[in-house]
Formats: sequence, structure tokens, C-alpha cells
Amino acid sequence: MTPVHATFGEVAAERRIASVPLSHVSVELGHLYMEDFEAGPARLREQFRKVAPWLATVRSLWRERVPGGRARVSTCFLVDDYFSRFSTPAELVPMVLDAAAEHDLTIDYLARESACAQSDGVELARLVEDRLVDDPPPETDGSRPPVKETGWLCNGSRSPRTAPVQAMGKARPWEPPAQNAKRGHSIFVDVELWDERGPRRTWSCPFLAAVWQLLRLGLLRSDGRVPLPPVTLDGGWPRDWDELPAVVRLDPQAAPFSAYTTLSVLSPRFLPVELAVRTILSQVAVDDEVLRQVAGRSEGEGVRLEEELVDRISYVFV
Amino acid sequence: MLVMGEVHTGLLQNSGEISESTCRQVLGITAGETVRVSRRPIVHALSPERLTGVDCTLPAASRSRVRGVGTVVSRCAVTGGRVAQGSSYVRVVRSEADRRLPWSHYLARPGVVEVLGKAKAADLAEGFTGDPTPGSPDGACLNLGAVSGRFLDLVQASPLLDRRAPFKIPRTSLRWVAETGEPSIRFTLHTEQERTLRLTHPGPFTPAVVDLCEDLATHDWLLTSLLVIVERARIGTTPGAAAVARLAPAIDHLLHLWMPAARVEEWLTPFWDSLERRPGFTRQWRSLVDRVRDQVAVNTLALLSASAETGRR
Repeated sequence: MTPVHATFGEVAAERRIASVPLSHVSVELGHLYMEDFEAGPARLREQFRKVAPWLATVRSLWRERVPGGRARVSTCFLVDDYFSRFSTPAELVPMVLDAAAEHDLTIDYLARESACAQSDGVELARLVEDRLVDDPPPETDGSRPPVKETGWLCNGSRSPRTAPVQAMGKARPWEPPAQNAKRGHSIFVDVELWDERGPRRTWSCPFLAAVWQLLRLGLLRSDGRVPLPPVTLDGGWPRDWDELPAVVRLDPQAAPFSAYTTLSVLSPRFLPVELAVRTILSQVAVDDEVLRQVAGRSEGEGVRLEEELVDRISYVFV
Repeated sequence: MLVMGEVHTGLLQNSGEISESTCRQVLGITAGETVRVSRRPIVHALSPERLTGVDCTLPAASRSRVRGVGTVVSRCAVTGGRVAQGSSYVRVVRSEADRRLPWSHYLARPGVVEVLGKAKAADLAEGFTGDPTPGSPDGACLNLGAVSGRFLDLVQASPLLDRRAPFKIPRTSLRWVAETGEPSIRFTLHTEQERTLRLTHPGPFTPAVVDLCEDLATHDWLLTSLLVIVERARIGTTPGAAAVARLAPAIDHLLHLWMPAARVEEWLTPFWDSLERRPGFTRQWRSLVDRVRDQVAVNTLALLSASAETGRR
């Protein structure tokens, strides 16, 4: 008898990572906070007026870049329902859509900020927190766990603590913090990720914005599945934010929500937030398999992606 | 250039073996990541992988200063609900830049440590697996043992374990270096608890090599532990019943765990096979197991004849 080659497999022993449909670019047309809402529809119209030419530019840039000119561009809009609750979806969403339409803008996807913390039993923020790998200062050899200030993340070494002067002791002079990858001089950034009052943890705005970027880049998985896939809404807009799905698809024909790259058109007042977001994102270890999936797909259609994920994110501050 | 890793192996700090579902909870160290479990031919559970950032000197036999920056991959495993492991490794490659780059560059290459400046693979391999040279090297030197030790601690500190292990047995550590080339394997025992492994495999490195090293570490620990237990039983100098009582934990907790090369990919099994020829892990294991069983048999016979004796009186 010839030898028999046996194959044996166990599903529970394998890692299965779902893939996600991807556009070329996801453009964030705006981010609505309570203060913007209170300022009235004029503020929104002003925002969309500024955004419109940039969206047109991005579309044409990608048409040139993609073989055959078939660029997949999707647009999204984020409403803050995490830090403050205001209005209702039924009242607010039509107002936003109307203001956008005035400038010939179509919002393909609408998302809730609180979904970046938790939604549908998936705690996206925790998921990302567990994937943080601290940027090690020189002389980090693994012998001790990384020095952490609970709830904070920085891009270098903090200033040594200067203790109050003891009766007999000498005051220790101040020493500067240092950025790890400095070029000549440091730009030291220390970001608060969350705070806790009692049992309730409040994630910081930059942390949720970092989760939002990862979601738009299609780089998150929960137990191998794609978290918070966009949902098409049947019937009208609900009267409560909690009844609204995390990501709503407004145009059934829209290009996929997640994309190889993202562009956010923002007011310059968000500059410090985005510096913090980039500080966080440059310390998130995305799953190897997910990175390979995205790289393989983009190469397959002749699009060369930046290796580092922070380089896939761009901004226009207007 | 080369891959280096270190595996720490120990007895799970629990009175009995833990179930598959407990294994999943104990090893669930990352939110949203599943614990991989295989059930044949022995239950083996593997945690998700985590990364640790390092920027330090790499061990070099020549004691030249070689700086490496990147991430260490670590994971924990539980075999047979009884043997716990913390395992870490890095793939060492030459950096294209001569300075440290932004951290996102290194996170795009998980598990890779980039060497800034000149380094020879042989020098690093010798430095990592050789006996430590006297005098501390300049600056902090990559300590994979500490990282693996912390991951093993993470398992052992789980609140799901009762911390009442049936016997005390030291942890063992296996440091390994894998390179591409003509197939060869060299396993060296250093002190009581320290082992090194030099492996040259055909073709490029794959994580299957790590599985092989972890499998060898598990079996070396089993063999070491069984030897310790047999030694502690002081067969021949202690009364039979007392010796058998000391051997009982091995029967209860270790003897069924021997499954060499169970999780090793086919192309790597020749490495196990060659270690089976020399020094012959399974040969020594069988002889020890026979010794344990013979002691039990002899003691049972003695008990039987004693009770028959009592019956005749």
C-alpha cells in the first residue's frame, strides 16, 4: 500500500480574520459638536462651503492615481453623542443633510462618536487600548515593564519627578522631557487617554478620534470579525441617539465606508487634537494579518500604500 | 539575519489541570482577540500575541556595541491544562537607516528588531546563546528572558487559578537562535534550569519554528521535572510505600503529557527526530516512566503479599 498523506485541521486552532470592502479614500466632511449645533445651521453651511472644493480636489487626485480612473471615494460625517447629548437624530440629521446638499455635497455615511467607545457589545476603545505598544525610550531592554502613567501616553521620556524640597535634602533641578525620535530638538507630547470617576471611564476626545481613524481605515477586528459594519436605515430617523446604528449608510450606492486612506477636512482649532491622535496612532499595533490583507488588496489594484498607518491619514485645515 | 527567542516553562499554579474553557479565560490577554485551542492529540491553548517595544544593545559575543530598535513578540500557552509557558522572540534585521526612526515605522514590522550600524549574525547568535561573559556590557542589553518571564507570570497570576500546585518544581528557560542554512540542531544544557538551542533550517523563517522551540521547551521541562521527582523519591533508600507516595504527583500530573512533535509542522519534524536519536528525549522519558511504574508494581506486590500473609495467620 502506498503511504497515505493525512491532513487534520481544527477550526478553534486557526485564526480567521474577515476582510472588509475598501474605498480608495474616506473623506470626513465634518465633525459636529454641541457648540456647532448651538451656533445654528449657518455654522454648518459655512463648514460645508469650505469643504466642497477640497472634496472635488481629492476626487480628481484619486482619479489620476487609480488605473482606469475609477476612484472609490466615500464621505462621512461624525456626530458627537458621547461628550454631550443634544437634539435627536430625527431633528438633527435632516438639517445636516440639507446644509450639505446646498453645497452639492453628499454624505454617504453618518456615524455616532459614542460608537467609538462602545456599541453593539463591542468595546472598540478597549480593543485599541490593548493594542497600544509604548514607544520605548533608548535603553529600554525589556527587563522591566514599560513605564506607564495610567491613562496617559507620550512620545518619549517624561521629566523626572521633582519632589518638594525636604528639610535636609537638596532640590533636584528640573530636567526636560525628551522625544524618542527627535530631530535635534524635542517636541514632547503627552496625551490623556481617559479618566475615571468612580466606576465610569470617560475616553478622551483624541482617543476616540484615533479609534475613528482606525475604523475608517478598516484596520480593526473583534474576534476576527469586522466591527460595526454600516447599516442601511429602514424607516425614519429615530428619536433617540441610542436607537441609531453606529454607522448608517445614507446612500445605498455609496463606495465602501472603510478606505485605504483617510482625509479629514477640519477647522484649525482641531490641530492639537489631531497631533494627539497621531501620537496615539503611531503606538497602535495593528494586526499583522489585517495589514497584509490591506497591502495585498491595494497592490492587486496597482495602488501603492504608505507602510506606516499614520502616513495614510491626511488633513486639510481650513 | 537571524531570529532569537526565549521560552520559559513552568507548572501551572493550580491544584489540578484546568479545563479548556478556563484556558481560554486565563489566556485571553487582549480584548477582541481569540485564544487558539487545539484538542488533538493534547489540549493546547495559545494566547493572542502581544508586542513590547525595545531600544537597547543586542547581545554580542565580541562585546561590540550593537544597537537594536523594534518590537518583541510574546505569547503564553497552556499545554494539557497543566504546563504554562511564556514565549518571546525577535527577528533581527539590518536597518536601512543609521538612526532611530519614528515609532510607527517599527510598528509596521511587528516582531522585528532593526540593527543600527554593523553587526554579524554569528556574533549575535554566539552572544545570545553563549555563556554570559564576565563584566556587564555597556548599557542595557536585550532581555528576552524578562519579557517571557512576565508573560508566564501573567498566566500564573490569573485569579482563576487556586495557586495550590501539587508539587514545587523550578521553571526552565530555553534560549534559541534560528538561522537559514544547512539543516542542523544543537541543544545544550547549561545550568539546572537553562538550556540553549541553535537551529539552522532550510528556507525562510516562519512562526512554525517558534512552535518547534516551544514544543521542545515543553518536553525538556517535562523530562527535567520527572527526573527531579524521581530523584526526590530516593528509590532504594526510602521504604517502598514512601517512595511511591513521592512518585504519585508525576503519575497524576505529568505522565500523560508526553506528546513530542504534536504541534510541529511536517517540514520541521526531522529536527525532533534527530534529537530523538541523540540524546533521545523519548528514550529517557520511557525509561523514567518505566521506573515509576515498576516502583508502583513492586510496591503493589509487596502490599498484596503482606495482606495475603495477614490472611494466612
